[in-house]
Amino acid sequence: MSAVEVRDLRRTYHTTTGVFKRRPVEVEAVRGISFDIAEGELFGLLGPNGAGKTTTIKMLITLLLPTSGTARVLGLDVVTDARAVRERIGYVFGGDRGLYERLSALDNMRYFAELYGLAPATQKARIGYLLELVGLQGREKERVEGYSRGMRQRLHIARGLLHDPPVIFLDEPTIGLDPVGARELRTTIASLTESGKTVLLTTHYMFEADALCDRIAVISKGRIVAEGTPRDLKATVAHSTIVEIETYGVDGGTVDRMRDIAGVDAVSVEDRDQAQVLLVHSSTGLELTQELLATLQDFRVGRVASREPTLEDAYVALVEEG
Amino acid sequence: MKFLRVFFIGGLIAYKALFNWLKPAIYIPTMLGSPLFQIFFFTYLGRFSGVQNDAFFVVGNAVQACAMSSIYGMTMTIANERFFGTLAPLLASPANRLALFLGRALPVIVNGLVVSIFGFCVGLVFLRFHLAVGQIPALAAVLLVTVTSCTCLGMLLGSVGLRARDVFFISNAVYWLMLLLCGVNVPLSALPGWMQGLGNALPLTHGIAAARTIASGGSLSQVGGLVATEFRIGALYGIVAYGLFRLFEIEARRRATLERM
Amino acid sequence: MARSRSRRVTRVLISGLVFHFKSLSQSNFFILISLVEPVIFASIAFYMFRAGGRAPTLLYAALGAGLMGIWSSTLFGSGGAIQWQRWQGTLELIVVVPPPLLQVLLPLTMATSAVGLYSIVATLVWGMAFFGMPLQIMHPFFFAISLVVTILGLGLLGLVLASTFVLYRNANALANLLEYPVWLTTGVLVPLSLLPGWTHVIGWALAPTWGIRALRTSALGGNPLWGIAMSVILGCIYIAIGSFCLKHFERLARERGTLALA
Repeated sequence: MSAVEVRDLRRTYHTTTGVFKRRPVEVEAVRGISFDIAEGELFGLLGPNGAGKTTTIKMLITLLLPTSGTARVLGLDVVTDARAVRERIGYVFGGDRGLYERLSALDNMRYFAELYGLAPATQKARIGYLLELVGLQGREKERVEGYSRGMRQRLHIARGLLHDPPVIFLDEPTIGLDPVGARELRTTIASLTESGKTVLLTTHYMFEADALCDRIAVISKGRIVAEGTPRDLKATVAHSTIVEIETYGVDGGTVDRMRDIAGVDAVSVEDRDQAQVLLVHSSTGLELTQELLATLQDFRVGRVASREPTLEDAYVALVEEG
Repeated sequence: MKFLRVFFIGGLIAYKALFNWLKPAIYIPTMLGSPLFQIFFFTYLGRFSGVQNDAFFVVGNAVQACAMSSIYGMTMTIANERFFGTLAPLLASPANRLALFLGRALPVIVNGLVVSIFGFCVGLVFLRFHLAVGQIPALAAVLLVTVTSCTCLGMLLGSVGLRARDVFFISNAVYWLMLLLCGVNVPLSALPGWMQGLGNALPLTHGIAAARTIASGGSLSQVGGLVATEFRIGALYGIVAYGLFRLFEIEARRRATLERM
Repeated sequence: MARSRSRRVTRVLISGLVFHFKSLSQSNFFILISLVEPVIFASIAFYMFRAGGRAPTLLYAALGAGLMGIWSSTLFGSGGAIQWQRWQGTLELIVVVPPPLLQVLLPLTMATSAVGLYSIVATLVWGMAFFGMPLQIMHPFFFAISLVVTILGLGLLGLVLASTFVLYRNANALANLLEYPVWLTTGVLVPLSLLPGWTHVIGWALAPTWGIRALRTSALGGNPLWGIAMSVILGCIYIAIGSFCLKHFERLARERGTLALA
């Protein structure tokens, strides 16, 4: 049995727009996604902001009802067995909110220990163990309002692990952390699967997914556009070449024309200082550089180079196509 | 010219930006609804205790209700600069400080007048309060001076709010203390001496006394002394408020206390 | 099995009450409305009664002002509870725990009225220290019962506030509006007989009316049982309304995705 089983899950939001004449607007946040997470797996849901990652997680943790489709956690339906699901999952989100600021870390932990029905006899030991695990021992009696972002985030993790849930959902846990704090947190996350937990992690950092995840699903505009191990994903672009062209002031129409050139898989634009860098993905062996430069004859062109693709390129290509 | 633009236009924009209660959904219940029931509450409490007649409480509470704007509004309009993190760019500008500071008071005063006038209307319509039409101009003059002087106290609290951590704690306490000390509900003579002393040092006290005389048919010349005292008290608070504002500005540059929360 | 379940529910309720009580006690805003405001209003009432000469006892004023404080902290605390949790980012976390929302929220609203205990203590101590008020409680036993029942009644009324104020975006503005009218219509200081008849209907449905009646009769003389009984009956009705509204709110929130701030 899979720890998490998602089948054709969809979620539509109904909002209204306009000040005077309110028109209903439908936003399709998640458009029919399916995936499985095996027990003990660290699964990454990777995508840009607004791709539908958080909506997906909220459906899985019973905070949102799916518009259609099904999702099961440890075989339990997230709609009909919500309470049973809640007992078996941990939920941690990024950012510095979500804590009772005026109370200490210890009080925050004790409160949620009761809400999760931890046996009174084992509570103290469990809380002590977790605070030590996330490195907050010694500071646990201070009020949370004085905590740094990193400390808050570690407290979130400890709170999410209180009831020793077999499945843990981490929604962009490293957002807003400094590099050192983020690295420490990743070490903690990696250690979770070692103790047999199933983890679903969302992130928009490529390297984070690469470093941590056993498998990754890339989600873009509410759809899963690729799924596999980090190595599989790299392989999807292994046969291609990246041509980097430094230019100045290229417009969208020109970029579209480059996309139409036979053999070009994707074109992305990065702004660097005054220059733009066009990243052209193409199949290996095709010598497209001349043709590409011909499209750009009206523009100033700087350095041109070609290189092997990285996982980041794979991600960019996938999101671009999706 | 520049001074006037900073005073009028800058003041109005700052007010719209920093005074969070302008939306009708907040303004109506908070600025009109709450004083409405405050007037009812104290008038009925007055009837029960047998202290004074309805007019005493209607005038007292209607005038004091301007503090909804003059105290809360003014405090917010200055102190929120720090909460929104906009104080630093403001102080980095070359704008005339006095215009910057006083410009914020004008919308507050107008709003305070609206609240007080609404309070008088409540009394006229629902309670045993009568006002001769001929008395309206004199009452309006007294009200303008009183609201202005109360706003000066609001400015002082706003300046304090640039440094103090919890200024809304203070402004709430001041609002309630006014109900006790300024002769709003308890005749000053019924208070112990030290409370009378405090009341006499606060804005509102003399203005309310003047307004009561006018409302019961007195003339402006009868209350000239009271109005002048009310004005002087307000001016004093205003000067201290501006002095503190400048002091904090200079001190902030020297000790980098500007962004400290 | 049933016993261990009820024990668990009890633990959730009690630990929640302690937790939120502690949290509110740390808040300047709650200190303000449960200590400073009642003491000032008690003073106003003391001086008005003294000056008017038609004065009921000082204890009457102290109890009334104390109850006003309980209502204020319940009103602001419970009325804004859900919005405040949403703003703080903890709303999602308390919805996603296994116990039903009612069990999680009830201790919070109960804590907001329990913070009002500070008010009663403050106005009584203030009256004794500052005005030489003698603290003579006629039926101390009933007084204690009345106090507990009053806090419970207001806490449950808080549950109704918490679950209905959700519909308004500016819960605080609504709370500002409702402070004085409830003080007036529940007769905490002004006898209901002075008010127009139609307001009595409102007073009957509000817990503070019966709470103050129970406290006053047990302290100053009279029969407190009627006030105690009505507080309990109203409390049961509030629970029914509150749990119905919360279920509705939770379903709606899961359908529309309105639990988070964004």
